[in-house]
Amino acid sequence: MPRFLLAYIRWTDRFNRGVGRIAMYGIFLMMAILLWSSVSKTFFTPSLWTLEMAQFAMVAYYILGGPYSIQLGANVRMDLFYGDWSPRRKAWFDACTVFLLMFYIGVLLYGALSSAAYSLGYFGDAPLAFHRDLLIAFVTGGPDAAGEMLGFLERSPTAWRPYLWPIKAVMIVGFGLMLLQALSEFLKDVATLRGVTL
Amino acid sequence: MSYEMIAILMFSTMMLMLVTGQRVFGAIGFVGVSAAMLLWGTGGSEIGFSAAMKLMNWYPLLTLPMFIFMGYVLSESKIADDLYRMFHVWMGPVRGGLAIGTILLMVLISAMNGLSVAGMAIGATIALPELLKRGYDKRMVTGVIQAGSSLGILVPPSVVLVLYAMIARQPVGQLWLAGVFPGLMMAALFILYVVIRCRFQPQLGPVLPPEDRALITGAEKLRLLRAGILPLVIFAVMMIPFINGWTSLVESAAVGALAAFVAAVLKGRMTREVFENSVRNTLGISCMFMWIILAALGFGAVFDGLGAVRAIEDLFTERLALSPWTILILMQLSFIVMGTFLDDTAMLVIVAPLYVPLVQALGFDLIWYGVLYTITTQIAYMTPPFGYNLFLMRAMAPPEIGLRDIYRSIVPFVMVMVLALTLVMAFPDIALWLPDHVYNK
Amino acid sequence: QSTITWRMQTYAGAALAEHVVKPAIDMFNKIAGDRMQIELFYADQLVPTSELFRAMQRGTIDAVQSDDDSMASPTEVTVFGGYFPFGSRYSLDVPVLFNQYGLDEIWKAEYEKVGVKHISAGSWDPCHFATKDPINSLADLEGKRVFTFPTAGRFLSQFGVVPVTLPWEDIEVAVQTGELDGIAWSGITEDYTVGWADVTNYFLTNNISGAWIGHFFANMGRWEELPEDLKALLTVCMEQSHYYRQWWYWGGEASLRVNGDKMKLTTIPDAEWQQVEDAAVKFWDEIAAESETKAKVVEIFRQYNADMAKAGRPYRYS
Ligand code: NA
Ligand code: NA
Repeated sequence: MPRFLLAYIRWTDRFNRGVGRIAMYGIFLMMAILLWSSVSKTFFTPSLWTLEMAQFAMVAYYILGGPYSIQLGANVRMDLFYGDWSPRRKAWFDACTVFLLMFYIGVLLYGALSSAAYSLGYFGDAPLAFHRDLLIAFVTGGPDAAGEMLGFLERSPTAWRPYLWPIKAVMIVGFGLMLLQALSEFLKDVATLRGVTL
Repeated sequence: MSYEMIAILMFSTMMLMLVTGQRVFGAIGFVGVSAAMLLWGTGGSEIGFSAAMKLMNWYPLLTLPMFIFMGYVLSESKIADDLYRMFHVWMGPVRGGLAIGTILLMVLISAMNGLSVAGMAIGATIALPELLKRGYDKRMVTGVIQAGSSLGILVPPSVVLVLYAMIARQPVGQLWLAGVFPGLMMAALFILYVVIRCRFQPQLGPVLPPEDRALITGAEKLRLLRAGILPLVIFAVMMIPFINGWTSLVESAAVGALAAFVAAVLKGRMTREVFENSVRNTLGISCMFMWIILAALGFGAVFDGLGAVRAIEDLFTERLALSPWTILILMQLSFIVMGTFLDDTAMLVIVAPLYVPLVQALGFDLIWYGVLYTITTQIAYMTPPFGYNLFLMRAMAPPEIGLRDIYRSIVPFVMVMVLALTLVMAFPDIALWLPDHVYNK
Repeated sequence: QSTITWRMQTYAGAALAEHVVKPAIDMFNKIAGDRMQIELFYADQLVPTSELFRAMQRGTIDAVQSDDDSMASPTEVTVFGGYFPFGSRYSLDVPVLFNQYGLDEIWKAEYEKVGVKHISAGSWDPCHFATKDPINSLADLEGKRVFTFPTAGRFLSQFGVVPVTLPWEDIEVAVQTGELDGIAWSGITEDYTVGWADVTNYFLTNNISGAWIGHFFANMGRWEELPEDLKALLTVCMEQSHYYRQWWYWGGEASLRVNGDKMKLTTIPDAEWQQVEDAAVKFWDEIAAESETKAKVVEIFRQYNADMAKAGRPYRYS
């Protein structure tokens, strides 16, 4: 295996593990928000934001935690046949079918990019181009130039009315990391097939 | 392409993808988004992601990580050890008593968490080695633990019933209460089975030897009873405010998780390692469920939008021209068959939206159907080739218990479950009496 | 020639859609036959309601029935969608405002800007509170967690109401599980049709708006592809649904107040309720200050209500 691929596996896994371990403590964030919700309801006026904030936390929790959960092997498989296969055979199948997984996550990522472009006020049919231009504007002209490109900022249709682009940005990051992790899994399977120990 | 063709194509492709052994969410998600890209028309590429927004709006899903955390705290911190000791001592002198005690233990654990994972872990790590050491039949005890832990999703609180409630748009409180008596009845049937088996084949469940019994004083026996208080307290702290409407569903789940955590801390069991394992495993299992739900929601929307749902409804209601009861029984059978080889969560998210309107149109009670559905899920959890409890059992069982033992062990218990299912179908009041009584419907 | 098929999603769940949209779509499908079929989907069925606008704009869904507010429309007129506090008194006010006072042109133009065809606006029911505990004074509103429209929620929060937004289909359950204390989303007809009357006990007869404004929209590209006669047929069927709702709600509201046995009626005295009406005048000013288009729409509401007051009975009784 080329050295840079081994480095890729190492760095991707390390980074995703770090992100996942931060997301892991999100369980206490969700708990705190929900407990505050019931405390504030009992003793003060109920808060407008708790339920929605807890929903955002839940989304961040499972999407950012996704790559780490792959590392932990937590995602079940139907092992009718798979369970009895040799590691080599498993690696063969996984190395092929992981592309289906990557395709799915790719479509999710595209949808998230498109939805995020909308939440920043872009209504056209080329969300990827919008993000590219936004990035270029930001790099060349700074926040002001990027701000120029934004239109109607989408807000959640609730009384709290939070902007939606932050949670969509979190999802983009999560799906992106998931893709990187899937690629890392593919490379690990290739390594297994080549008899390389990592 | 005809609607029927789409339905068949999507389902068979999904099965094929699952057989390859790729992660369940990947297989389902792939079929969903590719069908959308190929057949939907404009905007098909957005549906996969729109399921993520739908999932975000499903706020009752917040109970999922809470209950998973609760279950892990209970099993990792081993606060259930005392409970097991209690049943061991009290039930030991009876034939098959330790197996009966294990079932009772499972009922109490079920009342403290929403999934079957915790019961499974506690059963396999605490009860199983003890039972084997005491000369219990390995197949019987393996079955007892699998069947007993599956009560976790029928006895309230239950995550499966929360998921069902979201899809069927029924109140969780009533569904949970509806699960109480069927759950207890099923536990009683399991016990009855053990008693009868051990009466005819005493070697399957020998009584605790007298010298063991002599070691335990009467005072000790009474002291151990106190262990039974903890689950009741946790159950009450969570359920009483919920049933009375003081805390909402998701808030109650957080209260329950906190209660379990505090109990573990107070008992001095919340070590660094227990903490780490609980928090990490909660993330892993929550992610597993959430990603499957995400993929299944996308698959379901595509399936529905392409007209496949209508095809199946037509088939049941018009083409086959069957009576409501026949349709209901067919649906249960199809659930059991699909449940044996499909992922149970995905099955719920994909198939329930199809069946629930049908069940309603046929004039059946959706609360009652939720209980029927949950019992079928319990069966699905245990039956090979695909079942969560099966996975866990294989991972946790000691080496002397082989795959063959695990598969064989569930047969009598699945039969008992089918009996329970039939009883609840024939006498809906077993499920409906309690919620009707509490909510004065 | 193959059949044109559209997917349409409504904001309403199946029970309500049975009245507010299904008859019109069934009629359309029956007349259009092999030429065109519309498949109707209910609340949150294909995409969540908050994503409806976006899904229609991208063509994932071809047509939508909703108010501007619930589907989170990114237009200047969103704030007037659903219930604009005290904007109307009777359900007939809505078609007059749209067809004789110029709202229709404004809506069509605003939606064209964002790539969506506004087909037509219809009138629904008035906005009342349905709650678990009785409301006899404004003080009873304090701290109540109520499911309502974003704009109505913004307005009502000054009286201590805590507006909560949840998926429409989850409301009944949320009232039962304690997430909500009540609902300010409809008149009494919907409370009974949807099942909310089964989970709440009281109905407040004071309303914060006389009629909900709902619309039919379509993806602009798909609309333009239609032959003229199908466009006309679709418009006619939607207009017909407006007519159906006029009598269904108008008669239903009166009948259920008189004959319904699931909810007890309560009333806040007129003098006290006047505070709410006065607050609405201030709220209108706030909205008008936000943009030119909004100012224009508020001016139309003002003009219309002034005209009705001048016209006297039976248009206005005070
Ligand atoms: Na349980
Ligand atoms: Na199974």
